[in-house]
Amino acid sequence: MDSEDEMQDAYGGESDENLSNENEEDDEVSQNNEPDYGFDDYADDDINPSSRLPQSNYTILSEADIRQRQDESINTITNFLSVSTVEAGILLRHFKWSVGKVNDEWFADEESVRKSVGLSSARSENRRKPLAENLKCAICFEMYPVPTMKSSAGCEHYFCEACWRGYIHTAVCDGPGCLTLRCADPACGSAIGENMVLELVNEEDRRKYIRYLLRSYVEDNRKAKWCPAPGCEYAVELGFISGAGSYDVVCKCGHNFCWNCLEEAHRPVDCETVARWILKNSAESENMNWILANSKPCPKCKRPIEKNQGCMHITCTPPCKFEFCWLCLGAWTDHGERTGGFYACNRYEAAKQEGVYDEADRRRDMAKNSLERYTHYYERWATNESSRAKAHTDQLQMQAVHIEKLSDKQCQPVSQLKFVTEAWLQIVECRRVLKWTYAYGYYLPDHEHAKRQFFEYLQGEAEAALERLHQCAEKDLQEFLEGESWQNSFNDFRTKLAGLTSVTRTYFEKIVKALENGLQDVVEGQATATQVGQPSQVGQGSRRRNIQMDKPNLGKANSPAFFTWSEGLRTGENYLGSRDAADAIRFSVDTSNLKVSRLTYHSHL
Amino acid sequence: MSGGIARGRLAEERKAWRKNHPHGFVARPDSGPDGSMNLMVWQCTLPGKTGTDWEGGFFPLAIHFSEDYPSKPPKCKFPAGFFHPNVYPSGTVCLSILNEDSGWRPAITVKQILVGIQELLDQPNPADPAQTEAYQLFIQDPEEYKRRVKLQAKNYPPPV
Repeated sequence: MDSEDEMQDAYGGESDENLSNENEEDDEVSQNNEPDYGFDDYADDDINPSSRLPQSNYTILSEADIRQRQDESINTITNFLSVSTVEAGILLRHFKWSVGKVNDEWFADEESVRKSVGLSSARSENRRKPLAENLKCAICFEMYPVPTMKSSAGCEHYFCEACWRGYIHTAVCDGPGCLTLRCADPACGSAIGENMVLELVNEEDRRKYIRYLLRSYVEDNRKAKWCPAPGCEYAVELGFISGAGSYDVVCKCGHNFCWNCLEEAHRPVDCETVARWILKNSAESENMNWILANSKPCPKCKRPIEKNQGCMHITCTPPCKFEFCWLCLGAWTDHGERTGGFYACNRYEAAKQEGVYDEADRRRDMAKNSLERYTHYYERWATNESSRAKAHTDQLQMQAVHIEKLSDKQCQPVSQLKFVTEAWLQIVECRRVLKWTYAYGYYLPDHEHAKRQFFEYLQGEAEAALERLHQCAEKDLQEFLEGESWQNSFNDFRTKLAGLTSVTRTYFEKIVKALENGLQDVVEGQATATQVGQPSQVGQGSRRRNIQMDKPNLGKANSPAFFTWSEGLRTGENYLGSRDAADAIRFSVDTSNLKVSRLTYHSHL
Repeated sequence: MSGGIARGRLAEERKAWRKNHPHGFVARPDSGPDGSMNLMVWQCTLPGKTGTDWEGGFFPLAIHFSEDYPSKPPKCKFPAGFFHPNVYPSGTVCLSILNEDSGWRPAITVKQILVGIQELLDQPNPADPAQTEAYQLFIQDPEEYKRRVKLQAKNYPPPV
């Protein structure tokens, strides 16, 4: 306890001073037209607490944005290549909406590009018109006058309009493959352009086709994905794909998800763990077992494929059309007689003997056997999820109803009550993180005792910090919503809640980083208690004194992390002011009990 | 429904076939026990090509058209267990022009289908096998494969 007191002393003076400044400011504020509580740094931010990726790293695209980009690309191609907009559309769809690729390929070999995408050759521009007055439609076998019949823009295969409608309708109903539709003649590869399709379809198909067209821009693009939230129509485009790190993005619809695996945001655990965890939790585990046992995902588009008969040469359904070997899941182009023909695969046999596939099987078995352990973690994961959902509902309720009421009661403009919303958003975010720490804990190997202990300690602290914040945001607020309270005590409440929010945010950010680093610096016997971490920076200017760490990277400092953290937390306590000290002291770690060298951690709690 | 041109087209196909069809081939719509005609299922016979191991056999093939025909391809079936690398154990023929995802176009006629399948008999496509037995013999034991083909041809004598 001695060391703790020392630390408190070390910061005591400065804090008191700052605190009085803060109070003065607060008093001024109540009359001021442009009040400033020192939280404006947050107020201006996008208040979603998990937007940790720099905004520039991804772009949210609305349908209008996508359409605009498509139009721009088509215009560019039309100008560069001197082709019609319809032809530009066909070219761009073929080359996955990459203007650069269209240009490169076109200027490298225009004829072969024309041939492969199904555009009529530049030289045979003026097509032969049929000489006869009437022609037999090769689909329905009826005779029609030529002017009532149609052919694609690039060929002279005339079919009656009704048959064209049927052909295009079927294609549109079959899915996005209709975007690359060709002439109905078996030997002809001429592309059917957007104009012809839209001219011949009914309203419903028209909507579908336009939708596929729009979707192709995102779905063909490796850097763009749709937001997976139900009903959300935004796409998220990543600016650059970083090799490591988090893919968490926040869509404009408010959905917070991992761009990489499209599950909900799941820091600190990685996508693979999430997939395993979710698979494990799936209520449809029977189904899952069946799918696992009887299907394999297409190595390219990941749709599960069941093989019911035939050879090992699998062709995925359009638009994927990837050809691969059922056994080794390698590209079919690497296969043939030399890998053992169509019913065997040498590569698979070789890999199997080397144990590549056995390993995967064994892992699965192990997971199955640890049902009890799993139940422990699952229950806590699920509880946190329901708490998160509840908190989310409460937060919405808060924003919709209570803020208004609070504004009335306390005679404060709604804009000055953002700190309440922030606190609630932080609670939701913390529940989410906490939830995933249980998946993390489940996959943390049993034999790494030091890591486990440290992890459980961090988790316990996190739970406690969150409880405190939650209580303040819920119970304390209730008083102000119901009872008649003084202006002053409301200002105290503001200071306390905003402080708790900030402290909890910092703590959770640290825990996320630490877990993402795999707690890699926790090595038994190596850590020493003599090192002292980076000193906390207290105060940035006179108005804002939330906690700032020089290097908030726990992974870099294992044992020092504790000091840094406890210092940081205690700073937060000072921030909260003396009245709340009794509450806030619960943050601190009893450092005298911290036998860091043996890594046994205790807290006051 | 997309207009239901299937029956109209099949009636025209039937007319065209009666006017002119390749020698030795039979193709006629199914008839029920009461003598009514079902245009949606055709019973066909295709002869093994002369000069091949398939010669002398007259192979029964059923063509099942759906209401979506000719937007969607028909299904062609030999008797179950038919010996050929590109015929599934169920008897269904695996042929590019009959695949709705790739080769099928509405302008392909019944005649083209039948001639296409006749071609396929002696020229199997080893890149897309549909049954193990015939495929493996075809690749590993051409002699035995030949013997089996000839045996099968004998089992399907000319119709009387």
